[in-house]
Parts: sequence; C-alpha cells; structure tokens
Amino acid sequence: MNAVYDVIIVGGGATGAGVARDCALRGIKVLLLERSDISTGATGRNHGLLHSGARYAVTDHESAVECIKENRILRKIAAHCVEETDGLFISLPEDGLEYQTVFVEACRKAGIRADVIDPQEAKRLEPAANPSLIGAVRVPDGAVDPFRLTASNILDAKAHGAEVRTYMEVTELIREQDRIVGVKAYDYHARTEETFYAQVVVNAGGIWGHGIAAKAGITVNMLPAKGALLIFGHRVNNLVLNRCRKPADADILVPGDTISLIGTTSSKVPFEEVDNMIVTPAEVDLLLREGEKLSPILAQTRILRAYAGVRPLVASDDDPSGRTVSRGIVLLDHAQRDGMQGFITITGGKLMTYRLMAEWTTDLICKKIGVKEVCRTAEIPLPGSAESKEEVEKKIRNRPITQRRSSISRHGAMAVEIDSENSLKNSLVCECEEVSVGEVEYAMEHLGVNNLIDLRRRTRVGMGTCQGELCACRAAGLMGKKDPVCARKAKADLASFLNERWKGMAPIAWGDTLRESEYTTWVYQGVCGLSDETTKIAVK
Amino acid sequence: MKFDVVIIGGGLAGMVCGIRLAEAGKKCAIVSQGQSAIHFSSGSFDLLGRMPDGTEVSDPIAAMAELGKIAPEHPYAIMGEKFCAEHLQQAPEILRSAGISVSGDCRKNHFRITPMGKMKPTWLTIDGYLTTASSERLPFEKVCIINVEGFLDFYPEFIAEEFRKQGVVCNFGTINLPDLERIRRNPSEMRSVNIARVFDREENLEVLAAKIREMASGCEAVILPAIIGIGRDDAFDVLKSKVNTPLYLLPTLPPSIPGIKAQQALQHRFRSLGGEYFLGDTVLSAEWKDGRVKELFTANHGDIPFRADHFVLATGSFFSKGLVATPDRIVEPVFGADTVFTPDRAEWYTLRFFDRQNYQAFGVRTDRSLRVVKEGVPIENLYCAGAGLAGFHPVQEGCGAGVSLLSALFVADRILKGE
Repeated sequence: MNAVYDVIIVGGGATGAGVARDCALRGIKVLLLERSDISTGATGRNHGLLHSGARYAVTDHESAVECIKENRILRKIAAHCVEETDGLFISLPEDGLEYQTVFVEACRKAGIRADVIDPQEAKRLEPAANPSLIGAVRVPDGAVDPFRLTASNILDAKAHGAEVRTYMEVTELIREQDRIVGVKAYDYHARTEETFYAQVVVNAGGIWGHGIAAKAGITVNMLPAKGALLIFGHRVNNLVLNRCRKPADADILVPGDTISLIGTTSSKVPFEEVDNMIVTPAEVDLLLREGEKLSPILAQTRILRAYAGVRPLVASDDDPSGRTVSRGIVLLDHAQRDGMQGFITITGGKLMTYRLMAEWTTDLICKKIGVKEVCRTAEIPLPGSAESKEEVEKKIRNRPITQRRSSISRHGAMAVEIDSENSLKNSLVCECEEVSVGEVEYAMEHLGVNNLIDLRRRTRVGMGTCQGELCACRAAGLMGKKDPVCARKAKADLASFLNERWKGMAPIAWGDTLRESEYTTWVYQGVCGLSDETTKIAVK
Repeated sequence: MKFDVVIIGGGLAGMVCGIRLAEAGKKCAIVSQGQSAIHFSSGSFDLLGRMPDGTEVSDPIAAMAELGKIAPEHPYAIMGEKFCAEHLQQAPEILRSAGISVSGDCRKNHFRITPMGKMKPTWLTIDGYLTTASSERLPFEKVCIINVEGFLDFYPEFIAEEFRKQGVVCNFGTINLPDLERIRRNPSEMRSVNIARVFDREENLEVLAAKIREMASGCEAVILPAIIGIGRDDAFDVLKSKVNTPLYLLPTLPPSIPGIKAQQALQHRFRSLGGEYFLGDTVLSAEWKDGRVKELFTANHGDIPFRADHFVLATGSFFSKGLVATPDRIVEPVFGADTVFTPDRAEWYTLRFFDRQNYQAFGVRTDRSLRVVKEGVPIENLYCAGAGLAGFHPVQEGCGAGVSLLSALFVADRILKGE
C-alpha cells in the first residue's frame, strides 16, 4: 500500500526542514525524504554565520534586507541555536578607509545598524583582531548552529504531524502526463524501494536539486561552487570578524561554541565531485594566509578539521551562458516555467534565509492545493527556544554545572528531557564537549540518530579538540548495547566515523593534528584491532 | 653530570636499552618527558603480525628473513636476520627480570583479544590476559563477560559479537560497589585507573570475588576488563585464588593498566641496577665537539650538562614529539637530525583512515649501525632506537614493540662492543 500526502519534500537541509515545519504548522500532510542524515549538504558545511546582512549591503541590497529581517526573527524563534556575538568589519592598512564610508551608508540604507567605532575600542572589544587595523564597524552579526536549527525544525514539524524519513534517496519522480504525482525512493536501511504519492513535490535538494529536477526532464541551471573552511581548536574570537572590503576569499572568522571557523574559498567544481569534496593543500594555505590577516593569532592556533560545502548557485533563466548568477532566493514553479504541474524547486538563498524560503515555498504550495492558513513560523518559537536559558537552568540545577550549561546550549529547553536521574546517566562520554550518557541516549531516542556521524551533528560528540578520540568508541559502545545486530553495526559505524573524521584531518595533518592521528591509529587499529573489514560489512 | 650513556626517552626502547647497558655495568641516565606509548599498551608485545602487503604472519622469524629481501630499509632488515634471531630470547628475559611475566613464542604467533573482541597476532602477552593459539578457536565454549557498571572504556557486547562467531555462548554481568559510586559522582572519573584503585582494597576485592562466583555459575571462564592491580601486584592472583572458574583479563581503552604497570616495573628495574631516571625533564640543546655529541642541557638542570661517551635517541615518533611535522617537513627536534620523509604533503597520507599512511614510516635517518645521521654524516656516538626509526609501519605490520625491543638491544650491543 502506498501512502498519499499533500506534499513531499525532497531534501533534509535547513530549507527542506523549514518547509516541512511551515507545512505542518499550516495543517498540510507532509513527508520529507532525505537520502542521508539531515543537514549533511551545504546546511552543515558553511560558516554558521548569523548574517546581519552587512556583508551584502554594498553589492546586493535585496539580500541584505532579507538577512537583517531574518536575523531578527531567528534571534526570537531560534534563541537556543543563536549566539548574539555582534560582528566587526575591520579595515586593514592595505584596505584603506574609502570602502568603510560606502559600506556604512549601504548598511543604513538596508536598515542594518552599523556603528563606526574607534580602532582602540575595536581592539579592546576583540583582542584577537589584527592590531594594525585602522578602522572598524560594529554590526549585529552573530553565530547560528545549523545542525541545531535544522534538527529543531524537524522536531517541530514532526510534533505537528509531519513524517520525516532519513536515509531515503529519491530515485524517480512519478509523472502522469504533465504532472508529477509522487516519487519512488530507496530505503538504505531496509534496502527496499517505496513509492509515495502527493499533490505537490518540492525539490529542496540544494546542489543535488539539479539532479532531482533532471528526473522530471527539467533543467535548472545550477553552478556548483565549492567553499572550503577550517575549524580551529579553540574559540579565538568572541565577535565575528570580517574584512571591510568587497567580499573575497577567507575573510570571515566566526566563533561558534568552543571553536572558531575561517572561510571560505570559492571555486567552481564539476557536478561529479559534489558528493566527495576534498580540501586541497592549496586551499588550506590560502585560508591560513588570509585568516592570519584578520587575526594573527591563527598562525599559532591548532586546526581541527578542514571541510568544504557546495553552494547551489543558480544561473538566471534568461542567460544560457550561466554567467549571471544570483545569490538570492530562487523559487521555481515548474507549472509556470516548464508546464510541469505539481512540482516546485526552491534553491539559491542561504542558511540565513531558510525560513523565508520555506515561507515562500509553502505559500505557493497553499495556493496550489487550496489551503488558506497563513505562515506563523516567524512568530512561534522552535522547540528548545520557548524558554530562556536561565529558566531552563533553574529546572535542572541538580546536574553537574558544565554539563548543564553545555546541554542547554545544545538543546535549549529540551535539555530538561535528558535523563540525569543518577550518576550513570551523568557520566561523560565526550570530555571535550561535556556530553553525558543521558544526552547520547536522548539523542538516539528522540533526535533521529542512526549512527555516530548523525550523533556528532546532534550533540557535538567528537567535535572537540580530540575529534572523537575516545568518545567515538564510548558512544559506539552505548549504541551497540541494544542487541547483537547493534553491536555489529556499531563497530562498522565506528570504522566509517574514523574514515569521515580522517578525511577532515588529513588536509591539515601536521603538528598536533598528526600527533592525534598517530594516537588514533594506535588506539583503534592497534589496541582495539579495528580494520577496514568492518567497513566492508557496513549495513548501508 | 657524567655518565657512560645518556638515553633520551623513557619508553619501551629507552628503558630496555638502559636496563641492558646497566646490566653490563654501564653507568646510565634516562631523561624522560613522562608519557610514552606504553601507556596505551594492549598487554601484549608484537613482533611481526603482518607483512607489508597485509599477509598474516604465523612464524615471525621466517617472515623476518623474507622482510629483509622486500623491505631493506625496515629496521629488522637493517639489524639483520641473524641479530634478531639471536636476541629474541633476550627481550622477554629483560621483561621478566623486571617482573613482567610474559609468555609467547617467536617462532609462532599467538592471538591477543582486543577490547572489541578482535583477534590480533602477537609475540608476547602478559600472563593473565586472554590469548588463543588459533584465531578460529577460543579456549572455552561458554563465558561470562563482566564489566563495571557505567565503565565506558570496555565493550562486552562487541566482544560477545566476535566470540559468538565461533559458537561461544556469552553471558554478561555487571559489578557495582559503594566505592565505585563515589568516583562516579564526578562525571569524568569512571576511568580504568580510578576503578583499579577501588579494587586495590582487600574488602572490595572480596566483594568482587563473591559477585564473580555468583555470575560465573555454569560458565567455563570469566572475562574482566584490565582494571585490577594498579597499586598492588598481587591483586589479580588474590582474586583468582578466590574464584574457582578460570579468570582472564582483557585490555581496555587508555589509560592501560598493564601498560602503566609495565612502565613502573621497567623503571624500577633500571633504578635497581644503578641507573638514574630523570622523569619530567626535557632535553633542550646539545653541545658538539669533533662531530660527536659532547653534552646535553635539559629544562630542569639549567646549566648543569649531561655528559656521556654515548647517547641514545629514543624519543619516539610523533605522539611523544620525537618527531615533529610542520606543513612541509619532518623535524627531529633534539639534535636536528636528518629525517626520512616525502617532501610533498599530499603524499603523506591517503584519505582512508585504515590505509597504510606513508607518514607512519617517516623517521630519523640512520646508518646500518643505527647511528643518527645529521647533515648527511653519521654521528659517531649517537644512536637511535624505537619508534623514531624510519622504514616500518608499527601498527599495520604489528611490529612496534618488536622494533623497540630489538633496536634497544641492538644499540646496547653496539655500545658495549665499543663500536
């Protein structure tokens, strides 16, 4: 028997999750299919910057206005995913101060608060900033955790009746004459194919949306643009640091939780490579060279990982050469554009505007299926953000303090649900990030965790300085506890976690990173005797 | 301070080299930063588990002869088949003289069981730890695997999953005690060393024995994580005497109790032979004279030099900072010795974690006598032993301990022969 829905969303990034939540809140029967885990594409592979819009103010007024509006909304509805740090746009001697005047003017025009501050004051506010700076502008930038944000949207969507299926890859769009009526999807766990029907199918596949549209015989002219980033081992800066000049490579340093991030590079890549982004030594060198200009201390700071995401840039429909690229939101109603009913593509845009993208998409869905409900996602807080951190903290005073703080920062009000009944549950799995047994169990049970890499996205297990040295093993142990099948799967899972981790470490494997890797090899391959055989029997 | 030999590094290689020299009457000093790979020991010492192409080794001596032909830069090949074969009895004797009782045969590997239940070919295993002669047969058909409640660094389910492949029936048991509850109050304290301290207490050992007797009923053997006997040597024997069922230990994730105990035993043995052990000190610089190392200066001893006729570099590889990787080269920080590596960083590794990574075989350049080479010239009185040597993959080939032990003896031999 095949299930019937109002809407099927393809893609579990921030946009897809946002559409699922918006639909669910408007009473629409919705199914979201994601071929991997949630936030595995570009959503989880960017700066995690809560843009004020200042970066776009000079070059793209429209994006800047969207950003500052969404910035204010996210602070309200996603408080537990956001860190209100503010940001500085610093001018270095080589940049000069002319751009600053243009920049401040453009920010004000877009409604973004931009205060020119004294260089001395800037250095006092952010000691990590390059001390040779000659000018600084303070703007309401911040940090946003894309994993938490997406997970929260998913949780709320489910709470309002949405169905979310991960590790389900859409293999075919089912077409009847000039209408898409459903999808076929492959279930990686059950290893079966399933068919689902709906009035509208939404393509929210990011860069992979190109291929999804192609299944309907439709061309969306996308340009995969790779952006590489580096994560540093501790939090270098407290304010977001930007260069006050035309946007260029490696000119944003964002603090987030316990780390700082520098990025990005920008280069076009072929579609064949988007599933396997590898950061090259040249990219690492460029990021470091430019990053040190923002904050010289980066030269002495340990790098934890290198990674890259792919932006789904979309070429304008009227330019077949593909040169005119918009970074704005692209909502394509294929009924109008291509004469294909029941099919929508939402792409372009950025993490910052995921909610607005979802709103536009859901408005279009409502128009198509005749639903009158209006969007409420800008007003209703996400799960975890309904109460202030202080209120939540009061409720869980009995827990050890560091764990209490870190679990609240990760889960907001949902931290209350983590089992801390006894010392066994409070015992730490991950010491770098203060993740307890209770939190791991909570994530496995309630946050749709299927494996260690999913777990890392939900709880930061393995994201700290040691990059999952011992905690990965401990978490695998907990996952393997349920039954013999789990034990086999958990061991295989551990091997793929180590491969994934190493992929991010190899490009920067010198100094302490290489020391850590040698140690990992001793522990996992030596003491534990794990090998690639385990990878081969992986249940995937 | 004047010594016959100063050894830099207090890991397995440095310590065994020091013991051998001290036994022969040399006045030795060991300068140690404090942490070495012994702390992550599996409770076993590997000699040669696999050939470079991955083939499993059954007879290490025969395989070492083969290795000499296909990997001439391997430390075993440099030391030579003859030397290795002659000294393979000396290594376990030195361990035993320090009180580390090990069993094993250099003509036939046995298998150690890992904390995840995997079986790995090895040479010597500390007595008390579970081993098996064949990777296809365990010495029991029904076993009880016991863990301490809430101890996250040992994996009974993983072990059972492997054991069941051989038809072994596995029961599980967990232990809890009021004293354990006390360490649990601090969420990061449930680690092997702290737990072992609890079982150093006679009354807790008694309770543990009683619980094991209860849980072991109907089983042919009982398996415990290595959380016994950190502060006292007899704890495991006492426990065994109170339980009728055969009792075996398995290693845990670090910190490793057998590793820490082995480290202490070797240190004690070295000192009892008159060796001087400088713990927590770091060599900062060396003075040279006529192409020889004259003396060393350390962090703790300021302008008091360590003088010696011979010096041994046993500082290990990357983890213990015997080797330091910068983005474009590999540095040996104490003497600025020449190193063996490929200049292109992209060739240091592959993107698959379980592959043989080239960086693992990087190391200090030596001549065929294991004398350290600097600026292309071997230093007459400076030798290298242990993990800092180039040309081998300690983990993939399962030869890390063997290289450390044999190169330590090789270097001691050269020094004693006055080369």
